[in-house]
Amino acid sequence: AAAGLVFQFRDARWLPDPVLGPSPAVRTPQPVPLVIDNGSFQARAGWACSDPEVPGEPLLRFRSLAARSRGARGGAGTETQVGNDLGSPEPLRWLLRSPFDRNVPVQLELQELLFDHIFQRLGVSSQGCVDHPIVLTEAVCNPLYSRQMMSELLFECYQVPKVSYGVDSMYSFHHNTRQDWPCNSLIVSSGYQCTHVLPVLEGRLDAKNCKRINLGGCQAAVYLQRLLQLKYPGHFAAITLSRMEEILHEHSYIAEDYIEELQKWRSPEYYESNVHKMQLPFSSKLLGTTLTSEEKQERRQQQLRRLQELNARRREEKLQLDQERLDRLLYVQELLEDGQMDQFHKGLVELNMDSAEELQSYIHKLSLAIEQTKQKILQAEVSIEVDVVDSKPETLDLDPLGSEQSLEDVESIHEFEPLFAEEQPDVEKPVTTVEPVFNLAEYHQLFLGTERIRVPEILFQPSLIGEEQAGIAETMQYVLDRYPKEQQALLVQNVFLTGGNTMYPGLKARIQKELLEMRPFQSSFQVHLASNPILDAWYGARDWALEYVNHEEGWITRKDYEEKGGEYLKEHCASNVFVPIRLPKQAPRTTETLAPSKVLAASIGNPCDLA
Amino acid sequence: MNENKFMTMDPNTGPMEAAIKPLPFKDPNFIHSGIGGAAAGKKNRTWKNLKQILASERALPWQLNDPSYFNIEAPPSFKPAKKYSDISGLPANYTDPQSKLRFSSIEEFAYIRMLPSDVVTGYLALRKATSIVP
Repeated sequence: AAAGLVFQFRDARWLPDPVLGPSPAVRTPQPVPLVIDNGSFQARAGWACSDPEVPGEPLLRFRSLAARSRGARGGAGTETQVGNDLGSPEPLRWLLRSPFDRNVPVQLELQELLFDHIFQRLGVSSQGCVDHPIVLTEAVCNPLYSRQMMSELLFECYQVPKVSYGVDSMYSFHHNTRQDWPCNSLIVSSGYQCTHVLPVLEGRLDAKNCKRINLGGCQAAVYLQRLLQLKYPGHFAAITLSRMEEILHEHSYIAEDYIEELQKWRSPEYYESNVHKMQLPFSSKLLGTTLTSEEKQERRQQQLRRLQELNARRREEKLQLDQERLDRLLYVQELLEDGQMDQFHKGLVELNMDSAEELQSYIHKLSLAIEQTKQKILQAEVSIEVDVVDSKPETLDLDPLGSEQSLEDVESIHEFEPLFAEEQPDVEKPVTTVEPVFNLAEYHQLFLGTERIRVPEILFQPSLIGEEQAGIAETMQYVLDRYPKEQQALLVQNVFLTGGNTMYPGLKARIQKELLEMRPFQSSFQVHLASNPILDAWYGARDWALEYVNHEEGWITRKDYEEKGGEYLKEHCASNVFVPIRLPKQAPRTTETLAPSKVLAASIGNPCDLA
Repeated sequence: MNENKFMTMDPNTGPMEAAIKPLPFKDPNFIHSGIGGAAAGKKNRTWKNLKQILASERALPWQLNDPSYFNIEAPPSFKPAKKYSDISGLPANYTDPQSKLRFSSIEEFAYIRMLPSDVVTGYLALRKATSIVP
């Protein structure tokens, strides 16, 4: 067998963020802005300070996740872990929660936890408030409600002096261009949850012509996970989202010409030399299973035994019921044979049947069913191990506890059925004979062939996962078509790619090919990739903060918040467009209200009245 | 120094904060500490999810050309979707009538016919092609 390219998973653990003690320069002569790139994948936070003692890069980078493990009942003793404190996302995967729904924060309690984490670890030391101006990223065309809640959190809970909201891709764009003359660009920004096509004219976002495709790194990871789980059902649990992310980051690429690239993969030689084999960890003790602890296997066997018993019990009960019913039918049939017509007809009516033929066919069917059940019982009895018979008396469900248990078992049957089919032959085969050609290491490898290009391709062909939206290329064309030809030509001179999900090798070449196909013959275009697609948004936000910290432009002060409401936005070169619609100030759920509650969403123009 | 967040409402400091159904901020005396008691002791309030937020945003008085989260959604594709094999991802010319999976070669077909039904359903669900079960 070819040596091939075998790779290990790094399965890296996250290191907890230390509590930093920032240099006094962040507070003197005045508190410097705190820059937070609040992404649905990762939060990045740091200072915007020109003092060389203060690092000019994000000091905190952590996944935007929190897990609340409930302690005692009643909420007391809930332990919350945020970001890197989680260590590894996999054991807690089902408990992990994110404040984001797609790319918009909606669960502000969780957002509060993330902010708490940021402020604490950065070493914010002001009393009673967070004394620093905050620069925060928000979604393109962020819903007003979401901004309202975010502003409320920042101004009311943390009492910040002023806030500036901007779009991450715009910050990245400005960081990469950084010229004073107005610039035009078509930004393609692909993140964790969405991909945006953003036309920029004269350095400002032309928001009404933006388009958003609801696909990003998250959907790619889930797609890859499902593909591999279907291909390797035996390794279901080992195919975790974290490992999928590793594969996407390091083993995937985007084909310049998808069909052509697929044809290359058809050839066995190409496959052999380009397949990436991901080695799953395994232990040579247990043959044929992916479990590495014997306890787990024990429990599995126990559960299987319980299931077998349950099935056997159900079959016997069914057999008994069927037998009784058959007896009743036969009795009625005998009445016919004996010539007792009246009684026979009465019997038929009781059985809800119309004729002797129907009775006969029923008897026939029922007899067959009984035969089958008997057969199954015999088969099951043969394959049940001796242990099961011994433990049988324990499982008689005469008490409610036992019946509860059997209910669980019924549900777990469905979970175990595919495994059941797998396990049974293993149990019967003698374990001692190991076939000489069986390579245990290879059994625990995931072969990545066309998956390497198939998964990132969903950005260009969302139909691969059944999404109706157009892909990046078609959306770019759609956006360009909304402009007159002269402006189209301007926009394509600077197609700018940013965002973590644009880091696939080969993306730039692919975009260039797509542009070549959609642009007029012999027209020109240029594609640029951000210097650091992941962090440039943070760096751009920091640049902006340093430049504008003492200006009025772009900052929402506390006074603005109180007068104009939480949904208010002060525009600047990297911000969304503000649509001045007033939202009603939401009424508290509790009875304590000082402001009258406004329930109608359509009430506009009401000044924010405060107690 | 870090002190705990206070839970009490203090109407004297600042405006009455708006507690939207989900919002529990009753701590105008926020003094930062990482491990606060703010999480404990509140009722189970559900936040609006994005769908609900967008539904109420739509009701606002937008002008025709105003950009909003929901109207910058990319339109559906105008081009017909290309068909690829569910197993290998290669261009697929054939579809198995029994399971509706697409395949590109005889070996794949044999493989498909051996698959258990949950794997078949899994592949169909992956491209949202599961049949509507009555």
